[in-house]
Amino acid sequence: MPPKKTEDKKIGATLVVGGGIGGMQAALDLAASGIKVYLLDSKPSIGGVMAQLDKTFPTNDCAMCTMAPRLVEVGRHKDIEVITLADVESIKGTAGNFTLKIHKRPRFVDEEKCTGCGLCVANCPVHNIIYVTPEKDKIDISDEHAKIMNSIIKEYEDVEGPLVPILQRTNETFNYLPEPVLRYTADKLNMPLSVVCRIATFYKTFSLEPRGKHIISVCLGTACHVKGAGRVTSALEGELGIKRGETTKDMLFTIETVRCIGCCGLAPVLKVGENVHGLMSKTMVPELLHTYEKA
Amino acid sequence: MRIADESGLKELKNSVLQERDSLRPCITICGGTGCHGYACEKVIAAVENEIERQNLKDKVSMRVTGCHGFCERGPIVVIYPEKVFYQRVAVDDVPEIISQTIINSKIIERLLYTDPNTGVKPVHEDDVPFYNRQKRIIFGNNGKIEPTNISDYIALDGYGALCKALFHMTPDQIIEEVNKSKLRGRGGAGFSTSKKWAITRASKKGMKFIICNCDEGDPGAYMDRSLMEGNPHLVLEGMIIGAYAIGAHEGYIYIRNEYPLAVRNVGIAIKQAEELGLLGKNILNSGFNFTITVHKAAGAFVCGEETALISSIEGKLDGPRPRPPFPAQKGLWGKPTNINNVETLANVPLIIERGADWYSKIGTEKSKGTKIFSLVGKVNNTGLVEVPMGMTLREVVFDIGGGIPKGKNFKAVQTGGPSGGCIPESLIDLPVDFERLTEVGSMMGSGGMIVMDENTCMVDVAKYFLGFLDDESCGKCVPCREGIEKMREILTNICKGEGEEGDIELLEEIALTVKETSLCGLGQTASNPVLTTIKYFRDEYEEHIRNKRCPAGVCLDLISYSIDAEKCNGCGACVRPCPTQAITGEKKKLHSLDQEKCIKCGACFETCKFDSIIIK
Repeated sequence: MPPKKTEDKKIGATLVVGGGIGGMQAALDLAASGIKVYLLDSKPSIGGVMAQLDKTFPTNDCAMCTMAPRLVEVGRHKDIEVITLADVESIKGTAGNFTLKIHKRPRFVDEEKCTGCGLCVANCPVHNIIYVTPEKDKIDISDEHAKIMNSIIKEYEDVEGPLVPILQRTNETFNYLPEPVLRYTADKLNMPLSVVCRIATFYKTFSLEPRGKHIISVCLGTACHVKGAGRVTSALEGELGIKRGETTKDMLFTIETVRCIGCCGLAPVLKVGENVHGLMSKTMVPELLHTYEKA
Repeated sequence: MRIADESGLKELKNSVLQERDSLRPCITICGGTGCHGYACEKVIAAVENEIERQNLKDKVSMRVTGCHGFCERGPIVVIYPEKVFYQRVAVDDVPEIISQTIINSKIIERLLYTDPNTGVKPVHEDDVPFYNRQKRIIFGNNGKIEPTNISDYIALDGYGALCKALFHMTPDQIIEEVNKSKLRGRGGAGFSTSKKWAITRASKKGMKFIICNCDEGDPGAYMDRSLMEGNPHLVLEGMIIGAYAIGAHEGYIYIRNEYPLAVRNVGIAIKQAEELGLLGKNILNSGFNFTITVHKAAGAFVCGEETALISSIEGKLDGPRPRPPFPAQKGLWGKPTNINNVETLANVPLIIERGADWYSKIGTEKSKGTKIFSLVGKVNNTGLVEVPMGMTLREVVFDIGGGIPKGKNFKAVQTGGPSGGCIPESLIDLPVDFERLTEVGSMMGSGGMIVMDENTCMVDVAKYFLGFLDDESCGKCVPCREGIEKMREILTNICKGEGEEGDIELLEEIALTVKETSLCGLGQTASNPVLTTIKYFRDEYEEHIRNKRCPAGVCLDLISYSIDAEKCNGCGACVRPCPTQAITGEKKKLHSLDQEKCIKCGACFETCKFDSIIIK
């Protein structure tokens, strides 16, 4: 069935969703080519997140210097209509002829009359919003684990910057960092959980997943790389049926990769636990695994 | 028991020497991490048992030392006082060594090292070509010292330099002496050590810190680890002298968690030094206090960068920050902080003890002293080599390293870790020092020297380093975070055979932008592997892009395995390891390889003893 006549008609107007730096530039470019633009943003004002940045790549220009002229230009342009505090609810139609349903949330201020003088802000009696401390999540940690954690945390009581050593000890004790333990540590150290998680995910030592009894660390240093560490790794992966970073179902082996364990003379090298195995080759892998399976 | 003063140390040294009979045979076994890879602990246990069994406890002593450097030939056993050098020693050889060499002074031929080029079998350690071309002023004592025994270090005049510094020199004189020696940081950038010290000393504000950077993250370099494991007191002594010179009373050793033996040995060393009053409060009753704390790193390459290292010790994760202010002005906890590399600090006692005049005779005009390199990769004698600055690459790779294995052709040597570059064969006569390496687009770095032969693909090497840097970039600044990823993407495409004309130029453009605009050393040098490989091996890139060929036979998508009809004798050895049953054939007849089934894992290539698997 051919499309109806009315749908063929192209309308000379566009809607740009999102009034960040990209949206503003798009709106300006479109308006400059003579097209009517509706610029829509869900926030009370356009501008997006760019203002939060300091410098921009690759010219090192400051972010405000880039966006401020565009803000002004968008605001003044005859052909750009800014719709803020609004969300698109539905879109109908085809390219060139869309009908949108837009939900505009109330601003409680008449935008037509407002001059932006700021007097209302200064005079509003309720600018002190009372912050209600949210109820703390209950930490689901066993007594035994809590006891272990208490003793570890106590050990580093007097250390400045104790988080890293505490997590190192915890990682050694549990072989990984269980979630309840992380929550408990954050609570005890009076730190946001996000800070603890940032450290726990940044450093290579830490694992958030349970790891196997034998941790195989394959060295991927330069010397090992040129001597075929990749082949050894794929042999391990093939033999154990897991990828690097994963643990076998029987919790026996975990494959990890490290950037140089400092045994470059014996490349390619891998470590199982603390034991170093040098001059490895693909063909030596099955036997090596077998030795540790028995152990 | 504390040592009271300078003469107390001398007395202790003399009493240690008196107890020891210098003519009594002593078996030293390398207990470095490299030799542990060859299960040297079994050899050590066997020697202990054998001495016990033959009841030789009073006649023979044994010592488990740090790394000797010649890791290729481990486990290494050297028998003093003659310095008989045995290599690849197995447990079964031990009884023979004791009964033949120790008791009857007979040399066991088969355990000697054979020079592959001349066939000569040198008996003594000093005659082995790997050693006799080196100048082992820092590393040499590793083989003579049991790292967990401070007496061994004191017997070799250990802590003598500390005495000289504390009692006969002012801090300014120490800095002047180091200045005269022209010692430069061995961590990579080669900044003048004395200048760093002088700036930190000049900061008058209360507390100061000294940090020893043992976060040796460069893949392919392990000299710091071997020094820390094998001769921790040397580093401690250098650190105490440095602390005295700059006026610091607290120090940190930031050490990689991947180095458990080094962590253990340095911990023991600190304890022993404290017991003797060489560390802690009122050192040797001189009134100078200095304590050292060991901080175990948790594994992040960027933390080797000094500002990131500091924030890591503080327990924060701010990553690198712009300098100035330099750590020497505002470092740990906001206090002036001096950060030196392990090897730099190990140089200090030598300069103090033997004088800057002696020291500055070694090396080139602007780069003085020696440098320890880890000579690894496709080279016969892999290991740690200490050579005077200015030795040519040819001497290092061919004379000390013994050339390339299996008669293959030398292609390049990569120096400076992920921040360095690849130096081609045409520059093999380049004297190695800070300036020359930078001139050719590489850098000294921490001293990794990875030799590459004709079977190493340079595009793959560049891709490898970018993969490393992409993972390790902290993401704080955009050029490093995005630029490296983009370059990695392009290189991955080239290696897959999806490279296009213009890729090389685009790579160069991104590389230069990343170099100019990144925040810290990681990003500023990240382009070096790309730029040098393009500069010296452009044809290899072009071959990948235009002809979709990998000349070195590395890039999986561009190669295929096949069987050489002339060389294959049908032994069948390759059939079993093949995971996809791609190889078939009757015994003693030419085998065939099904290209459809082949997954290019290389198992057949590794197994074949007759070189009949061809990679194209």
